[in-house]
Amino acid sequence: MRLHAWAWLALSSLPPFSLAGATLPRYGGALTVDLSSDSSEPVTPLVTETLVRLNEKGEIEPQLAVAWQRDADRKRWRFSLRPKVGFHDGEALNGSTAAPSLGAALRKKFGEVNITAGGQALVLQFDRAVPDLLTELASPRMAIFRTSEKSVLIGTGPFRVAVWEPGHKLALAAFEDYWGGRPFLDSVTINLGTTKETGDIFDIPFSQTRRVLPERIRIWSSPVRELMALVSDRVQPEAFEALSLAIDRAPIVNVLTQRRGEAAFGLLPQWLSGYAFLFAPPRKQTTPQVRTAPSTFSYPANDGFARAVAERVALNARDAGIVLQPTANPGGGVRMVRWQLESSDAGAELSRMAGLLGMPERANSLNASKPETLYEVERALLDAHRVIPLVYLPEVYGVAPRVHNWSAGFRLHLENVWVDP
Amino acid sequence: VSFRTKVFLSITATVVFAVWMVAGIVSALVTKSFERLDAQRTATLVAQFHREFERRGAEVVRRLEAIASSDQIARIAVDLGSPQFDPGKYYDQAQILAREQSLDFLQLVGPDGSIISSAEWPARFGYKESWLPQLGDTKNVFLKREELADGAALGLIAVRTVRAGNAPLYIAGGQRLDQQFLETLPEVPGLRVQLYDAFDAAAPPLVREVRQNPREMTRTTAQAASTAIPLFGRENQLLAILLVENSRSELASLKNYIQGTALLVGMGAVLLGLLLSFWTASRVTRPLRQLTSSVREVAQGKWDARATAESKDEVGQLARDFNRMTEQLIEHRDRMIQAERVAAWRELARRLAHELKNPLFPLQITIENLQRARETPQFDEVFRESTTTLLAELDNLKTIVGRFSDFAKMPAPELEPMDLNRVVQEVVKLFDAQIHAPGRPPVEVTLELDENLAGIEADPEQMRRALRNLILNALDAMPAEGARLTIRTQNLDDKVALEVSDNGAGLTPEECERLFTPYYTTKQHGTGLGLAIVQSVVSDHRGTITVHSEPGQGATFRIELRIELKA
Repeated sequence: MRLHAWAWLALSSLPPFSLAGATLPRYGGALTVDLSSDSSEPVTPLVTETLVRLNEKGEIEPQLAVAWQRDADRKRWRFSLRPKVGFHDGEALNGSTAAPSLGAALRKKFGEVNITAGGQALVLQFDRAVPDLLTELASPRMAIFRTSEKSVLIGTGPFRVAVWEPGHKLALAAFEDYWGGRPFLDSVTINLGTTKETGDIFDIPFSQTRRVLPERIRIWSSPVRELMALVSDRVQPEAFEALSLAIDRAPIVNVLTQRRGEAAFGLLPQWLSGYAFLFAPPRKQTTPQVRTAPSTFSYPANDGFARAVAERVALNARDAGIVLQPTANPGGGVRMVRWQLESSDAGAELSRMAGLLGMPERANSLNASKPETLYEVERALLDAHRVIPLVYLPEVYGVAPRVHNWSAGFRLHLENVWVDP
Repeated sequence: VSFRTKVFLSITATVVFAVWMVAGIVSALVTKSFERLDAQRTATLVAQFHREFERRGAEVVRRLEAIASSDQIARIAVDLGSPQFDPGKYYDQAQILAREQSLDFLQLVGPDGSIISSAEWPARFGYKESWLPQLGDTKNVFLKREELADGAALGLIAVRTVRAGNAPLYIAGGQRLDQQFLETLPEVPGLRVQLYDAFDAAAPPLVREVRQNPREMTRTTAQAASTAIPLFGRENQLLAILLVENSRSELASLKNYIQGTALLVGMGAVLLGLLLSFWTASRVTRPLRQLTSSVREVAQGKWDARATAESKDEVGQLARDFNRMTEQLIEHRDRMIQAERVAAWRELARRLAHELKNPLFPLQITIENLQRARETPQFDEVFRESTTTLLAELDNLKTIVGRFSDFAKMPAPELEPMDLNRVVQEVVKLFDAQIHAPGRPPVEVTLELDENLAGIEADPEQMRRALRNLILNALDAMPAEGARLTIRTQNLDDKVALEVSDNGAGLTPEECERLFTPYYTTKQHGTGLGLAIVQSVVSDHRGTITVHSEPGQGATFRIELRIELKA
């Protein structure tokens, strides 16, 4: 689904942050990235690629596939793979080498699918119509890769894995034969799960964004691209609605995100949907008092920000007579989730969120040609009282002055980054 | 109970009682000493707690002063006066300052009581702490229950106010008063200190009691001596209770030791009592046992038995008295025997005179008749009649003399296996003619003989004689009409019994007593030897004879004979 016009307007109002200096780009050099998360998911797109990708405008553009055709009922799709593309271990990309990882991802998403590989052609045959296949194929989950005997990821991306210490460190080296041209950097070291801020690029917790940073380090903040929400698994709708009304989002935004986040009342942020303001409640409203048995509610483990928000939510809930005990241990009737937007396709994101909420059927009525269905689906999802949006969050990074041409979209883009010696 | 046992019990009881008394007194003294020591230790620890409380309070004040005078606080205080004051900027400031000053609690609160930053519950920013503006600056440190995200905690709190303009910045901070705080107190073995700030059902009863009635209380149980001290807050509200428990395990183990020792001593006392009683009893009871033995010998017929009378105490006197008594008994017995002999001779003479006088009188008359008839023509006829009478009376005399001779010459029994039932049947058969003689009142004879009667060793002839005498005796006692004679035999354990019963006039108790005395008879023409002979036979067979009778109820003679005479 394409980005809507008003969303485009919102996105375009956020100028891409670029630290391009006056000097010309140069090859060589090493970059260090310190990330507080121990997940390697944000950086895997540096190693692996998908058949197609979404550009910043939310448009599908070729990546490993150069062309594609589909039949009238959108069940049979034929992709022509980019020629002269090789994996990091030298294996050529063709239908046979692409089919295993792609097939597994597709089956996980769509169920049965028949894949026929022939040379550089890849034919996907579904037993039902798959109108949004291209958007799905742009997701990092549909990456094409192989694994070595030591379970090291082998992709076709601009960087190859040199050292992989799960949860701690990922060292990447420039892939000399990258089809898009060798990246400027010789190597990238990504330290995971660290609070060190000694790297060239590091993420900054919201609580630290107002402090004095080391000399010449500049803060780069992305548009909001993550939804923090509460999801009910087995809480009574009345109690969940009361909890929704009890939560005061302003202190969360003003204090906990240091005004960098946005209060969330819908699933998609305003810049993506264009209608998020419609979900905002009236200013004055009475919080109903309910009495519930004490229960725990879980937040993502090792996430200090999530914990702070959870404690605030619990405090607000207590004011409404709802006793919630935040815990990092999974379980309880309510859980806090952080859903990263993966693309600028509002329909795809809403459809994905419906799936995450366990209500994928509610997204069936989405129609790309009828933008109003987007609002209707989101309203239906909210009215099910299964989710309480809390806050939209941006990504905040500290960037050293030696880093040039840095930008972060829905993933880290380091292939065009170059550094001063 | 023997004398030795009595002596043993007396000595043992005395020693055990003495040991028990000593153990009890020592235990009581030890308990009292321990209680005094417990009280001292508790008081020392409570004093230590109060000192530590004050020291910590001073420490909290010092740290809070350091925070209040810090640049960060000065910056916030200045910023607080600005119309554009953004409390969000200082969201984590309390956490940073608390960490620097090692405080568990720290809250930065604005003029209206709104929390700017909270170290103990960061999420509470923006919420009100209205008590702080009311309290203002205070020099005192006080206890306060601090609400936390996961419950509540007791804190030692101080408050400082910082002003950079008109708007005051309240700083409330402190340290936890919890079990960790108590662990800083000097460790005293056996002493346990606990702090209760939740008065739920899980709290000890003493804590709940103090909760109801907040004052210091002490309770002592077998396990511990507990003292509960209420701790009050700023407004004199009960916030926590300090429980000092003095373990009484040392006392218990000492008491156990004393009891164990007492038990050992008691057991030793029992052993000693046993030996002492054995020795004492031996010393005391030896002459008594000798005396007892002498008494038994006398009872068995050894009249010449003498008790040893060496000592001059009561037992020796008793032995001498016993010896004197046996000597007197022997003299008395000899006199009795002599008297009985004289009496027996007299009785014999009387019997003989009586028995002999009866035939002598007809003899005298017959001879006088012969003398008178010598000159008469009927002399021949008188002579013939007189000689016949004389012969008859002489024969009678011979019979009387024979009886006495028989009794005097009772031979020793010749023992042989004998069937008593058969002897009974033979003897009864001998009496058939006499019982069924014409003109004699009928006698109903009943034999109840045990078919399985054991054989005995006896002299059949003497037994027949004895049975004959009993049957004759019974027939003599029979009434004129309805006479019944019953003879029974039966097995006993190691004996057989023979009973001869009649339904005659019966006997008085006095008659029963004298019945077997020789020459005693209740009949007009009896010699008084029949039952004496029966008793002699039975006695020679080591048996017994008894009579059961009441006047008008007949009489039953019962003979019991051993099956095996050798046994």
